[in-house]
Amino acid sequence: MLLATIFESGLSMEYYLILSSILFVIGVVGVLVRKNAIIVLMCIELMLNAVNLLLVAFSTYFGKADAQIFVFFIMVVAAAEATVGLSILVLIYRNARSVDISIFNKLKG
Amino acid sequence: MDALIVIFLSGLISLFVAFTKKPILVLLTSSIGILAAIGLFIAQWNNPVTLFSYEGLEFTNSAILYSIAVCIFGLFSILVGYNIYSKQPEHTGEYISLMVFSLVGAVCMLAFTDMFMFFLGLEILSIPIYVMAGTKKSDLRSSEASLKYFLMGAFATGVLLFGIAWTYGATGSFKLTEIATAISTASETGQSSILYVGILLILASFLFKVGAAPFHFWSPDVYEGSPNTVTGFMAAVVKLGAFGAFYKIFNVAFPEVHGFWAPAIMVLAVVTMFIGNLSALSQVHFKRLLAYSSITHVGYALLTIITVSSNSEANLWVYLFGYGFSIIALVTIAQLLNDDEDKIDAFKGLAKRSPFLAAVAVLSLLSLAGVPPLIGFFGKYLVFSEAFTQYPILVIVAIANSGIGVYYYLKTIIAIFQKEDVSEEKIEIPSLQVVVLSICALTILVGGLVLSQYKFL
Repeated sequence: MLLATIFESGLSMEYYLILSSILFVIGVVGVLVRKNAIIVLMCIELMLNAVNLLLVAFSTYFGKADAQIFVFFIMVVAAAEATVGLSILVLIYRNARSVDISIFNKLKG
Repeated sequence: MDALIVIFLSGLISLFVAFTKKPILVLLTSSIGILAAIGLFIAQWNNPVTLFSYEGLEFTNSAILYSIAVCIFGLFSILVGYNIYSKQPEHTGEYISLMVFSLVGAVCMLAFTDMFMFFLGLEILSIPIYVMAGTKKSDLRSSEASLKYFLMGAFATGVLLFGIAWTYGATGSFKLTEIATAISTASETGQSSILYVGILLILASFLFKVGAAPFHFWSPDVYEGSPNTVTGFMAAVVKLGAFGAFYKIFNVAFPEVHGFWAPAIMVLAVVTMFIGNLSALSQVHFKRLLAYSSITHVGYALLTIITVSSNSEANLWVYLFGYGFSIIALVTIAQLLNDDEDKIDAFKGLAKRSPFLAAVAVLSLLSLAGVPPLIGFFGKYLVFSEAFTQYPILVIVAIANSGIGVYYYLKTIIAIFQKEDVSEEKIEIPSLQVVVLSICALTILVGGLVLSQYKFL
């Protein structure tokens, strides 16, 4: 069912699904392997943007606007999350003089 | 919905009242707001009020019941945290209003009818808690807890959104009822495989949020590093909100494909119970012990999600309601013992130092262990007896796990009654704490007996 050509450029839906999946996986892998907290934060933003792309593609496919509105909500929330995340990083940097997540091992047991 | 607006306004007003630098005013504004909201919720029982003809939020009886519990736990967290927050009068407003705003998110998360409100509620609930976990600003452990919780939470949000997007692709809607209709229409011709991808991703993000295996690893660290009040808030309010939404999404939107996700949850529930229990056995830190015990309790509560029954939602509520009172009482007591190292040894001789605290602690621990006639027993009894007809082996495993759990709860209770080499120093209990602990103890003692008399959903 997804083979239908939807956009004027003639790109089929599949390409959007594959591209957003690849972006999402890059984001996930980045979160799991990178040690710098700011890069991890950027990878999380990449994950959210993959979702945005997917939602817009589906929205055009179904000819409905609701998913595009959802994308705006995601953008707003991502901005709020980035604000809080960067503030937490500043707090961490003040206490530990580093944003390398591998040094955070005070809590364990 | 008017109750939701009242909670939000009380948070906003307390933020501005904080400019007077009088912490007591902030406390009064927020408490009166939350109490008023509880009153409005009770008034809407069987009589939902719709404002602005907005359909995204629907206060059904179950949503009201969950919301009232969330408001009670939020109020308790504010009350027991007040003594600490008021030491910094210039920041009291932020601390308290962050908790109130977080409550707004929890209520959205319990009353949603579409994925918009669910996602917004989840974020409104989570973002203030990321900040609150780091409120001990000079303590690196608190900052570390905050960062870990933030990274895990944001990651889970990404996974959740990806799941929602795939589900939208398969069903063409964000509304739970329309998703359910689309799935049952498609069940004749065969489901689209992207629906299963969506469900698995949503399931994974929920397991992150409630702290179930294999996504539980953040919760002991976060519980230990956060200030005690925030730990109580996370354990009581966030669990209730996340489980309410978990139940609703999987049993309203995806009941048609129950055979697909139920086996996955079944296996993970067993793994969660064992991981929580076995890790808790060797703990020396009290809040870490509570975190692992909460993982175990998540394992028991997962049984209600997969049990197909009209009582499941009420049983889940009773279970988490009892759990919330116990956990708030215990973190409050741990905070009064004022032990920064947070060792279980700090409880040694508590019976001599303060009989009142010892009595409440013993009641809460026994309730967590599931000893009748306390509320924790009735929660477990309702959950297990409902699940037994459908998953007998699972329930037997769960009961065996409750048996293991008794060991580490009793270990703490034995420490409380220890007589040798204990400090004789008396503990001063502020009056707010006395009130909250008394209500907790009373509810734990008689709540189960009262609740088991009614069929309220």
